[in-house]
Amino acid sequence: MTALPPALIHVRRGMVTLFARRFLDHRLAVASAVVLALLALLAVAAPVAEWALGVDANAVSLAARFLPPSATHPLGTDELGRDLLARLLYGGRVSLIVGLAAALASAVIGTVIGLAAGYYGGKLDIVLMRLTDGVIALPLLPLLIVLAAVDLTKIGLPEALARDADVSLYRMVAIIALVSWTTVARLVRGATLSVREREFVLAATACGAGPLRIMTVHILPNVVSPIIVATTLSVGNVILLESVLSFLGLGIQPPIASWGNMLTGAQELIWSAPELVFWPGALIFLTVIAFNFLGDGLQDALDPRAIAR
Amino acid sequence: MNGTPLLRVEGLTRHFPLGHGLFGRRAGRVHALTELSFTLATGRTLALVGESGCGKTTAARAIAGLYRPDAGRVLFKGSDLAGLPRRARKDARRAMQMVFQDPFGSLNPRLTVGAIVGEPLVIHRVGTRAERRARVDDVMRGVGLDPRDGQRYPHEFSGGQRQRIAIARALVIEPDLIIADEPLSALDVSIQSQVLNLMKDLQEARGLAFLFITHDLAVVDTFADEVAVMYLGRLVELAPRDRLFAAPRHPYTRTLMAAVPVPGRGKRAPGSIPAGEVPSPITPPPGCPFHPRCPRALPVCRAEMPELEDDGGGSFVACHNPEPPPAFMPAGNIR
Amino acid sequence: MTRYIIQRLGESAVVIALMSFLIYALIGLMPGDPIDLMISSDPRLTPADAARLRAVYGLDRPLLERYLSWAVAALGGDFGNSRLHVRPVLDVMPTFLLNTVKLMGLSFVISVTVAIPAGVYAAARQNSRFDHIVNLLCFAGISVPVFWLALMLIIVFSVMIPILPASGVGSIGGGGVWDAVRHLVLPVTTLTIFSIGSYTRFVRAAMIEVLRQDYIRTALAKGAGRARVIWVHALRNAMIPVVTVVALSFGTLLSGALITETMFAYPGMGKLIYDSIMGNDYNMALVTLLFATAVTLAANLLADIAYAWLDPRISYGGSEGVRP
Ligand SMILES: Nc1ncnc2c1ncn2[C@@H]1O[C@H](COP(=O)(O)OP(=O)(O)O)[C@@H](O)[C@H]1O
Ligand SMILES: [Mg+2]
Repeated sequence: MTALPPALIHVRRGMVTLFARRFLDHRLAVASAVVLALLALLAVAAPVAEWALGVDANAVSLAARFLPPSATHPLGTDELGRDLLARLLYGGRVSLIVGLAAALASAVIGTVIGLAAGYYGGKLDIVLMRLTDGVIALPLLPLLIVLAAVDLTKIGLPEALARDADVSLYRMVAIIALVSWTTVARLVRGATLSVREREFVLAATACGAGPLRIMTVHILPNVVSPIIVATTLSVGNVILLESVLSFLGLGIQPPIASWGNMLTGAQELIWSAPELVFWPGALIFLTVIAFNFLGDGLQDALDPRAIAR
Repeated sequence: MNGTPLLRVEGLTRHFPLGHGLFGRRAGRVHALTELSFTLATGRTLALVGESGCGKTTAARAIAGLYRPDAGRVLFKGSDLAGLPRRARKDARRAMQMVFQDPFGSLNPRLTVGAIVGEPLVIHRVGTRAERRARVDDVMRGVGLDPRDGQRYPHEFSGGQRQRIAIARALVIEPDLIIADEPLSALDVSIQSQVLNLMKDLQEARGLAFLFITHDLAVVDTFADEVAVMYLGRLVELAPRDRLFAAPRHPYTRTLMAAVPVPGRGKRAPGSIPAGEVPSPITPPPGCPFHPRCPRALPVCRAEMPELEDDGGGSFVACHNPEPPPAFMPAGNIR
Repeated sequence: MTRYIIQRLGESAVVIALMSFLIYALIGLMPGDPIDLMISSDPRLTPADAARLRAVYGLDRPLLERYLSWAVAALGGDFGNSRLHVRPVLDVMPTFLLNTVKLMGLSFVISVTVAIPAGVYAAARQNSRFDHIVNLLCFAGISVPVFWLALMLIIVFSVMIPILPASGVGSIGGGGVWDAVRHLVLPVTTLTIFSIGSYTRFVRAAMIEVLRQDYIRTALAKGAGRARVIWVHALRNAMIPVVTVVALSFGTLLSGALITETMFAYPGMGKLIYDSIMGNDYNMALVTLLFATAVTLAANLLADIAYAWLDPRISYGGSEGVRP
């Protein structure tokens, strides 16, 4: 890059600083970013923690059930004698991965739908927006329960694959993405409608650029802010959905730990070991609220005029 | 002059529908452009002038094929763009490039200047990557920009520099026609003349034709071969430059010239600044659109729309009661 | 307007028809089928018997054919029997529905009663300490996993300080009105916490938007009583979008009710849906899911009509209909 004249460096930096300053003003968002970074770090470090403590997150030991917190088990053990801390860390891994993956997948779906509806307009727009409104209007949880309960062997998947625990992960991502793209689609459509009228889009059309090029090269880069905001906000929702489905036994399947499925047997534990009930839910709560604050802060910083959700 | 003209516009009309009114009634149409016709030959410049809101941008965009016309057609090198299959239309677009009014809005803020200038080459798959780079550097130098600035983003440049970028983008693919929609209006006066000289030089060097849109008659005077005057979406006078300046025939042209001092033409042309407001293009007045403000209006002007007619001296004027023709013809109009 | 309503009703009917097929197909994909259930309850049945039974019940026919015969029967009012309740599906639903109406209605009234003043006050004093606290609480409400919230309430109020019942609608043997109310406290609290955050944010956002408008500024500048301008004029205008988004969020409220009812073993529609899906009660699952969809669509339709009615700028016939 060529050296910029000082005045121009100032302009460039000015925009970045403005964003940074508005974001840093949002103290909750900054705190949330820190919390999320820590959680991600801990989730990544789960095997390290396991090794350091000398425990195995999946090793069942009936002799070690409901142990109180100790040096080896900082948070004690669960009803099957597994180390609670190690399981929480692994559970965080799953919740974060599923949350981010499903949010990204829904961002992709929503972006494609929003771009097409906003750019082409007319009949396609009407159809796509009716579809979006329709999905928003549905009672999603009951339908998700049905989707999650579908027997994969009945749609031709081999038995072994259908029962595989890893497949339950992909499946969660897929069905959650299928219902969570609506926010992104609406925001992208709105932004596309206004960018579409900007002169540089007309200029590209006048040059002979086709719809695909217009949408990907000219509109998409100018609608990233709403995509980022909507995606961040939807991570929280996605994690909530994953946790409730896993809690109901329809999501992530044991032995893979997720914060949701760690609570599956919780109703029996409320008398004997309430602290086992507390931790997984508290972590879901913390993660979701952090993503929501982060999204809120990004929204304020990227587009101060947008009204709150 | 024989053969097909470079650009021929025939009865081009665009009336924007207004949004739906209550209970689905149509609330009306904006008569932005009505029956525009003219021809433009290779290597020449036609200036389209008129007050803000008279439909100049609409005309430019309809000619460039960005708006679907409600009536009329645009023949570019003899073929109707709207009737061409997609591929051929894309090829035709190669030879017709556009410079927009707003140098701040017409450059994608997320692309580097190099990518913006080189985009027509990418779209039309011209050359290899290296060849395209070389071409972009060339053109940037040609418009007085440093090729090293290709790495930077539009917001780092001033308005004049941006308009140069936009001109470089229009030139890079070596078109035959450039439609320039008030390319100077967003610029400082000092920079205006720079950019104008640049365009003049390019025209001489490459035989480019310009459809040059402006509301500034001083600019018209230095650059145009012919002038088309628009009022409320309609062409009211079309004449060779010197003739128009020497003896405007439409009362509107006259008042327009009275409103703007033209340097180098001595004192202002006689006439009065038009009284009253420009009527709304949603409900244009019956008859001649200019009659409510016209000092020479006759009763017939209220009822009948005057046709654009050849006055026999190279001018076309749409007026029931035009100013008298000049006593002698200035030499400039003889082709 | 009438034309608009008729058109929207027609659209909703189409959506319901499509959804009924979709749900029918999905339920067919759930583990097991009615014959499997018979086989597991009667070991003497051979695979040949099973095949014969499938033919008798028409389960070997193509999906579309089976769906159509179900739809024809359903249009005639016959939705089949519930496997778990061993009664016609429609006979089972009313008591559950009534319980849900109680739960959702109570929690809705409480949410709105708190959300409106909280949202208005926060908007009127944007960025005040009060606004920040409300904002924090709203985010907490939006972000809390409902099933865990229910578990925590049970642990605190039924286990640690045992003052409230953790499940059901009444004690065995009946305990009168007071007993019924006590059973409602925890479920209603859970559902209220779930919905109140987003309602408050709706009110706050709409009020901020309205307070920015010129006519409000003018009224304030002219010296009209600030309280009156905010609580009467501004609030009245802010209610238009609020009513709409609240109605649009009915589906979400229903999802919250499903979890709440399941957690507190509260016999409402949500629990009925959940139990019928998990208990292979196909007829019941189908009807309850469709019912939930229909009610949600009706809420949306009402929201749209209310919006069109209240906002004079909206046209009813045009294709460019605006949604909030
Ligand atoms: N997309 C559009 N929809 C409706 N009306 C328009 C649109 N574009 C321009 N107009 C109207 O058409 C008239 C001519 O506009 P324009 O061509 O931009 O004039 P000019 O470029 O001469 O200033 C104006 O009254 C303008 O308001
Ligand atoms: Mg213009």
